[in-house]
Amino acid sequence: MQDALLERLRAVIGPANVLTGVELSPYVVDGRTPEAAVFPGALEEVAAVIALCGQAEVPVVPWGGGTAASVGMPAARAGVVLGLRRLARLVEHEPGDLTVTVESGVTIAELQAALGNRGQWLSLDPADAERATLGGVLAANAAGPRRHLYGTARDLLIGVTVVTADAAVVKGGGKVVKNVAGYDLPKLFIGSYGTLGVIVEATLKLRPVPEAERLVALRFARLKDAAAAVRALLASDLIPNAVELLDPTAAAALGAGEAGGALGLAAGAVLVVGFDGLPEQVEWQCAELARLAAPHGGRDATPLSSAAWPRLAAAVRDAFPVATAVMSFDVVPAQVAELMEQGAGVARARGFQTAWAAHAGVGVVSAALVSDREPREPGPVCGVLSEWREMARAGGGHATLERAPLAVKSQVPVWDDPGAAGRVMQRIKAQLDPKRILNPGRFVAGI
Amino acid sequence: MATLTSGRKTALRRELEAIVGPGGVLSDPDELLVYESDGLTLFRALADFVVFPTSAEHVAAVVRLAGREGLPFVARGAGTGLSGGCLPAEGGLVISMMRMNRILEIDYENQLAVVEPGLVNLHLSWAVVPKGYYYAPDPSSQQACTLGGNIANNSGGPHTLKYGVTTNHVLGLEVVMPDGEIVWLGGRTRATPGYDLAGVFVGSEGTFGIATKIVVRILKKPQAVKTVLAVFDQVDHASAAVSAIIARGLVPAAVEMMDQLTIQAVEDAFGCGYPRDAAAALLVELDGLRVGMDAQTERIVQACRDAGAREVRTARDEAERALLWKGRKSAFGAFGRVSPAYMVMDGVIPRTKLPYVLRRVNEIVAAHGLRVGNVFHAGDGNLHPNILYDPRVPGAEARVVEAGAEIMKVCAEVGGSISGEHGIGLEKADFMPFIFSAADLAVMQRLKNAFNPTGLCNPGKVFPTKKSCVEVGPVAYTPHAIEAKGLAQRF
Amino acid sequence: MAHIVEDARRTATGPLVLHGLSVEGVNQCVHCGLCLASCPTFAELGTEMDSPRGRIFLIKALAEGRTALTDTTVQHLSLCLDCRACETVCPAGVPYGRLIEAAKAEIEHARPGSPARRLFRWLNFGLLLGRPWALRLAATALRLYQVSGLQALVRRSRLVRLLPGTLPAWEALLPSLPPRHERAPLPSYVMAEGARRARVALLTGCVQSVVFGAHNRATARVLAKNGCDVIVPEGQGCCGALNAHGGDHARALEMSRRTIETFEAARADAVIVNTSGCGAHMKGYGALLDGDPAWAERARRFAASVQDLSEFLAKAPLVPPLSPVALRVTYHDPCHVVHGQKIRKEPRQLLAQIPGLSVVDLVESDWCCGSAGIYNLTQPEMAGRLLERKIRHVLETGAEAVVTANPGCILQIQAGLRARGAEVQVLHLVELLDRAYGRPAERGP
Repeated sequence: MQDALLERLRAVIGPANVLTGVELSPYVVDGRTPEAAVFPGALEEVAAVIALCGQAEVPVVPWGGGTAASVGMPAARAGVVLGLRRLARLVEHEPGDLTVTVESGVTIAELQAALGNRGQWLSLDPADAERATLGGVLAANAAGPRRHLYGTARDLLIGVTVVTADAAVVKGGGKVVKNVAGYDLPKLFIGSYGTLGVIVEATLKLRPVPEAERLVALRFARLKDAAAAVRALLASDLIPNAVELLDPTAAAALGAGEAGGALGLAAGAVLVVGFDGLPEQVEWQCAELARLAAPHGGRDATPLSSAAWPRLAAAVRDAFPVATAVMSFDVVPAQVAELMEQGAGVARARGFQTAWAAHAGVGVVSAALVSDREPREPGPVCGVLSEWREMARAGGGHATLERAPLAVKSQVPVWDDPGAAGRVMQRIKAQLDPKRILNPGRFVAGI
Repeated sequence: MATLTSGRKTALRRELEAIVGPGGVLSDPDELLVYESDGLTLFRALADFVVFPTSAEHVAAVVRLAGREGLPFVARGAGTGLSGGCLPAEGGLVISMMRMNRILEIDYENQLAVVEPGLVNLHLSWAVVPKGYYYAPDPSSQQACTLGGNIANNSGGPHTLKYGVTTNHVLGLEVVMPDGEIVWLGGRTRATPGYDLAGVFVGSEGTFGIATKIVVRILKKPQAVKTVLAVFDQVDHASAAVSAIIARGLVPAAVEMMDQLTIQAVEDAFGCGYPRDAAAALLVELDGLRVGMDAQTERIVQACRDAGAREVRTARDEAERALLWKGRKSAFGAFGRVSPAYMVMDGVIPRTKLPYVLRRVNEIVAAHGLRVGNVFHAGDGNLHPNILYDPRVPGAEARVVEAGAEIMKVCAEVGGSISGEHGIGLEKADFMPFIFSAADLAVMQRLKNAFNPTGLCNPGKVFPTKKSCVEVGPVAYTPHAIEAKGLAQRF
Repeated sequence: MAHIVEDARRTATGPLVLHGLSVEGVNQCVHCGLCLASCPTFAELGTEMDSPRGRIFLIKALAEGRTALTDTTVQHLSLCLDCRACETVCPAGVPYGRLIEAAKAEIEHARPGSPARRLFRWLNFGLLLGRPWALRLAATALRLYQVSGLQALVRRSRLVRLLPGTLPAWEALLPSLPPRHERAPLPSYVMAEGARRARVALLTGCVQSVVFGAHNRATARVLAKNGCDVIVPEGQGCCGALNAHGGDHARALEMSRRTIETFEAARADAVIVNTSGCGAHMKGYGALLDGDPAWAERARRFAASVQDLSEFLAKAPLVPPLSPVALRVTYHDPCHVVHGQKIRKEPRQLLAQIPGLSVVDLVESDWCCGSAGIYNLTQPEMAGRLLERKIRHVLETGAEAVVTANPGCILQIQAGLRARGAEVQVLHLVELLDRAYGRPAERGP
């Protein structure tokens, strides 16, 4: 680290907001310690940090709550962590417009609490809401079970302010719910993992808090029976807000203290379905669900407490004290059960324990794998992960290796090959960040 | 751009015919004439050729030929656009997608369909409705406009309030890039590795390439639908009712508003049952479960009554509902009955600003000695003032354009946008600096460079043509590294 | 941006006319394009010159002098079916039918074509359609051609392919004519049965009376069953619709005056028409003769009294008893009933009253079959494509019979079904009603 750069950073954002040395331990990723961690308190300070780092050609790693910090290829150089926790103001919330403008460092939980006081919510429920920041959630395109009905960030983000690699403050979209003026920059930054710009402010669509909401769990003897029930549910008139398919291991992680604590026991699969709306609508749908599922062997319809909601998004990861690897998949919904079934089989055959869960209606699957072997022999783990990826690809889907030891990541690519589109992505990166300042090497296609 | 010599034109025609077949190229001036405008007749531009490909390979070959010759090209669907977006602003080729209009696949289990871009929006819903599905985005021109055009403009429609716009329903696209390469952006799954290029492509107004296959979501038709007509004697009361509905925690599928002039025009056209003496009417639609529908409808009715509606009624049956919607969706065209020409504006405002902005719109238009009919997506705050004029009156067009610009400025001032669904195209390119700074536009330009480095793909659109426009704005401008190297240029 | 013209002002400021007919209606078009997908020729070709908006554009350009009647413009305007499907969907109320008829008149005037074509037009518009005796003579000749076995020979030998121009299309469409006694004219008065409801006059038509005399008799019987005294004015000839659609404006005017004169004498409550083109055309007499002070008022009054058979009958429930007709049918909307006269629900309401009848929906039921007056003879290729499309949809329904309400459609769809070897009948709506009133099925034409 150049001392000159550190000095300038301290001068711009104040010494207390520039961490170095031992204070950097929370920001170590894949064994690499950053050169500094800086916490600007205003948009202009973010721009100044990026300008300074850009001049010094030191990579910048945007950092929200750090919940997805390890997702991605290991960086060649750790660079400067740009923390956004101090940028957390609620800029504007006009309930009549059903929109909110907020700085990106706010955590999801803080934001929801503020909105909830006024009867509204952001219909986005990623894991770790207490720690995950809005900016991080947008950059990682994280979502939770309610995405089934309400979609993901791309369906909610209507405006974004970013600081680009050349330290310009750039606005995309706007503050209104419908807007086609100019290119859809919000889409560009969602899921871009901080490689094109640092999200500093966002405007999002909101919804009124539903009057009633309920989660119901049903047990099935076999995964494929549960999958048949999912098909029947999706073809029905019901409007679930979450359709979660879990294997017994993941189901058990929904909470030991729950009525569902013993959910995983004596079951081949558990289907958890959420409904919201007027109380009578929730009531009617729960009854209909039980009726629809019965012919497929669905039984023991059990309401879960609201505490189960946040656990759904991380059920797979939390199924084990320490998971060796977590992989997520995007497949067509019809492929979900088969992937879960065969994926578990492949791992079992090699002596690994796994946990599987899916947002079944939208084809998003996650799996965790535990290995008690010596991590220096990553071969078997890599073998399983590679097979999983091939299964997803065979059905037109793809896999992302969300978490794994460095030794595994070095053999199994984190990201799937984006094909010819990868070249377009590289051109975009070259246009927006030609000096490769922002999170270099972390994303797909070498971006 | 230099005009093609007739010898060059003959040779090019022969080459184009070799690609798409002899019946697939137009170059007769009388035939090119009908392609000189889209739904906005204020702008006209003639192409050198109109070409009709029937496959992605055709499109790619035509695009490569255009690249070789340095000829600009633009894709065109049904030509129902309202911003001049599909006009050959700088000559060259119009690539008509109307012969690529097949439904390639309908996958009910995964609730998606794969279609070609020339498919008419409504025809997709017709194809899937027997199985209880539909395609949600429903622009008012849905009986004629194509999905390819919808992709270019990220089209909306009345039901976007609850269901979102085109981009929320597109999973993937096969695209012929401006250099002729065929690339898939997105796919059949909800996400694909890397940047959301399908999301970026949708709404890029044909400047990023030409979509040749489109994967869209199809939705289950809701179990129940209720359509409420609320009639008001004062426009302000109708505006206030919109926010009142939202404030009661309801998200209707659609909240549409029409003012008196519009009501009278559509009543002349189709006799849809709107009271001709009303100052404004709200059309509110709820959909979803049968259970609870009556309770929700009652809340809507109450909200409208409380806001001062003189009459609130619910459509008795599907026929009455269809008729009410027919009136709403035909409103633009119906202005043809009351005026020889009109210009439909498209702006968005926060819906709480509705009463103020509507008053301003009426003042501005009146100040220019013109009439205005308002019909719009009130729930989204998406205004459509239709400024009526007679093009035979000298100076009328100039006044329309001025009034339009002032309305756009008002939308920008209250924190809104200059287009909710019609796009920027040629019409509003110079208004972009109302809402975007030089830095914002520069990033958009770089994004365009990544897709369309030669600029031959639909030139002259989206970006302001007056170079001075980009010099105003809140952010100081410093040349980007790639500009310094001459790899890119700011516009 | 050299090509951009930010100026939509017209080059001409006077009234817009073609062949003396006003085309001011082009100014009602706001270029919204909602008509495009409803136009059969645009759906087939995808070229905007062959769409309603494109043709309006061309008509406007012609009237303004921006373009001339080149081969290209003539070709695109001539390809219009005049089915008026675009009028049904047009929110701006563009009077498209009137515009295209003016354009066709201009074309006939400015580019009458080869001597052979002129002779053909004279034979049709000048001789046959105007003179019932000539039409009957031609019918006898045709009947001779058919019963002598010559037609069978021509068709079998594929000699037909050697015929020049559009003659093969003509040959394929030739209706098999009924014997002379079935072509005999109707009595001039048929008395109502039961309670008397109205006194109506029946248009027997020109071609209709020769080829489909059975439909006229069935119409008279069904009307009588429903309490109508039916007058069949003698000396009625062609209403002029075919002439007007074909661009022969002068004769069309002449025929309209004669028709009005003939029917006024009948002093009927309504003039009933069972052919779509005639009904739509006669309802437009008011506009047609608007510029003729001596006739304008008479024409308006007459036009207001014209009713399509289904429109008239659907005003009251059919008088019972109706006996069951066990048949699975589908209904094809003739363009000039559904678009020209906006009659959509009435025929279906009537069908629904026939016991035992099962009615299945036809996809694109209001889409032109390609007959379109003499279109199938002048534009056989496009007519063939549209017929193909129609037959495909008909066969998809699995119906035993296609019901419609216009002789041109009947001939066209019959020809299409014959070519496919399909055993599907084509019936006029009135034939089914007649059957339900106990009349045994007549030998079809």
